[in-house]
Amino acid sequence: MEPSAERRIAWGHLALVTALAAAAVAYLIDARGVSLHPHNLLFLQPTAVLVVVLWAIIALACLRGDRSGEAPAQTWPERLKVLALVGTFGLFILGLERIGYDIAAWAFVTVALAIGGERRPLMLALFPPVFVAAVIVAFKAMIPYPLVTAIL
Amino acid sequence: MIDLPAAGSAVALLAGSLDAWIWVIPGLLIGLVFGALPGVSVSMAMALVLPATLYMDFLPAIIFLTSVYTGAGFGGSVPAVLMGIPGTSSAVATTFDGYPMARAGRHNEALGAALFASCLGVLASYAVLFVLVQPLAELVLMIGPYEMFAIAVWGMVLLGSLGGTSISRGLFASAIGVLIGTVGMNTAGYMRGTMGIPWLLDGVPTIPAMVGLLAASQLFGLVNATFLVESEQDRKISLGRILAGCALVFRYPGVLLRGSIIGAMVGAIPGVGSSIANLLSYAETRRTAKDGASFGTGNPKGVIASESANSSSEGGAMATMLALGIPGGGATAILLAAFAMHNVVGGPRFIDQNRDIVYAIILSNFAQAVLLVFVGTAFVFAASTIVRLPLRILIPCVLVVATMGAFAIEGSAAGPITLYVFAVLGWLLSRFGYPVAAVVVGLLLGRLIETELLRAYQMAGGDWREILNHPGALVIFALMVLSLGFSMWKDRRRRLGDAASA
Repeated sequence: MEPSAERRIAWGHLALVTALAAAAVAYLIDARGVSLHPHNLLFLQPTAVLVVVLWAIIALACLRGDRSGEAPAQTWPERLKVLALVGTFGLFILGLERIGYDIAAWAFVTVALAIGGERRPLMLALFPPVFVAAVIVAFKAMIPYPLVTAIL
Repeated sequence: MIDLPAAGSAVALLAGSLDAWIWVIPGLLIGLVFGALPGVSVSMAMALVLPATLYMDFLPAIIFLTSVYTGAGFGGSVPAVLMGIPGTSSAVATTFDGYPMARAGRHNEALGAALFASCLGVLASYAVLFVLVQPLAELVLMIGPYEMFAIAVWGMVLLGSLGGTSISRGLFASAIGVLIGTVGMNTAGYMRGTMGIPWLLDGVPTIPAMVGLLAASQLFGLVNATFLVESEQDRKISLGRILAGCALVFRYPGVLLRGSIIGAMVGAIPGVGSSIANLLSYAETRRTAKDGASFGTGNPKGVIASESANSSSEGGAMATMLALGIPGGGATAILLAAFAMHNVVGGPRFIDQNRDIVYAIILSNFAQAVLLVFVGTAFVFAASTIVRLPLRILIPCVLVVATMGAFAIEGSAAGPITLYVFAVLGWLLSRFGYPVAAVVVGLLLGRLIETELLRAYQMAGGDWREILNHPGALVIFALMVLSLGFSMWKDRRRRLGDAASA
């Protein structure tokens, strides 16, 4: 028999909370590998244990199919749009030091405008370079660090 | 407590000097603009204008710098309300209700309330400073690591227990935030969790992480919407509604007073300041409010609590700086540097010998708070146009500015990388009903809590009974346990009620 929607295991939530708890345990193992002295573990160890206890409570609720507080389900095109933005933003961050902040930002703004639904060619061609130039010039004037740029 | 002849001399000093006034409005404007830029902190703004004060007399120089301080105190709340990005760490709690208010088309009211709460917070804290500068400084000296530890844990547990769908998720988010906050080298010299990344030795960069968790994560979720404010009618910028927001502050005088007192007290503690004051005030207001459940969804009381506390912490920090010569944070450290540039040494002797100047600084800050109402309203009016921009344009622009702000903090790719990692984490957490703000609070307080606990442990030589000699810390812990128990009881009652009505 098919389990009802309410009773289905909340797999996504379970995966997230388990990954975070696993990261906390990995952190504790790393810290214990550094030293077992109280000055190292005094605060960190009880907090990591608390995370594991809370994980057990939350995981149990996930297994019972508790979906309270979850964001409303999105359609596939909506999900793809969000994932495309998350991916493009990641590529932008990766490209900052490699191709320069100016070019990376220009490319990101153009692609993100298109993901957001901007279709006017003039807007896609003119707005990104003007905006990025203004931001780069302003930050270059304000911050005391050298900024890796290709053009500006 | 008030030295009347010195106060009279201060009035004469201010009345007879045009120089003391001419820099107030430029200072407020500089503070507002820099405070509103994510990644550019209050102390960075003050540091940038510090060299200019070398050519001014002592009093105008200090008044100029405190104007920047006052302006930036409110400036941080403008992006917090309009975009969910705290311009400074002091405006974190402002995002909790300010941004939902903006999303609901009540950005005018939210900014008006934030502005007025800020102005009144500054006034209240300087009024306290005017009367109690000396006793307040003596009180600060009595706060040790036990009390600091208790205050920090209190702030974290309160917020963890109050946000999100359930207490377990709130506390889980807080604990994860705290663990992230302890990454790197602790005060005892142990390096943990750096994964071989050199820049993590100093810990996770908090401002980029905070902007990622609170703002960038929300922007990902907004990509399918067309405007920040969906209804065209609500997108209007209205002076009348900004003023109506100002009037909201008078409807909740208790919230304002509590925020101002918490801000002045916490702000006076060196190293703590406004970044904790706004969170504590918000959590306390939410805990005691009858409509506590509506916090986080656009309750103006949340904005008032946060803004009154972060602004009044300025007066508290000034009390410690003037009375003891101890800078509570970056901003007051720059003020002390300005003192040094004019061959003036802050501290008890300065107060004793130059009480008229101290009163002049305080009185000028009263005037700054009043002027901020007008300058701030104009600034808010201009900044509010952001809600009229379509999200397809706003999202990439804000993400680029946030990335540049993250770079500006340390001048390396560490900031942008942190911003991205935490943006994704925040987006995932908010999808499953976790209070992202609790992670932020944990992140901000993790290192502080560990440092203070370690210090207390070392002072006690490992003897836990030493805490019995610190009644202040015990009282805070007792209050914390009581409020956590009360929250759990309320949570359970709500769940039972939900189950019964289902």
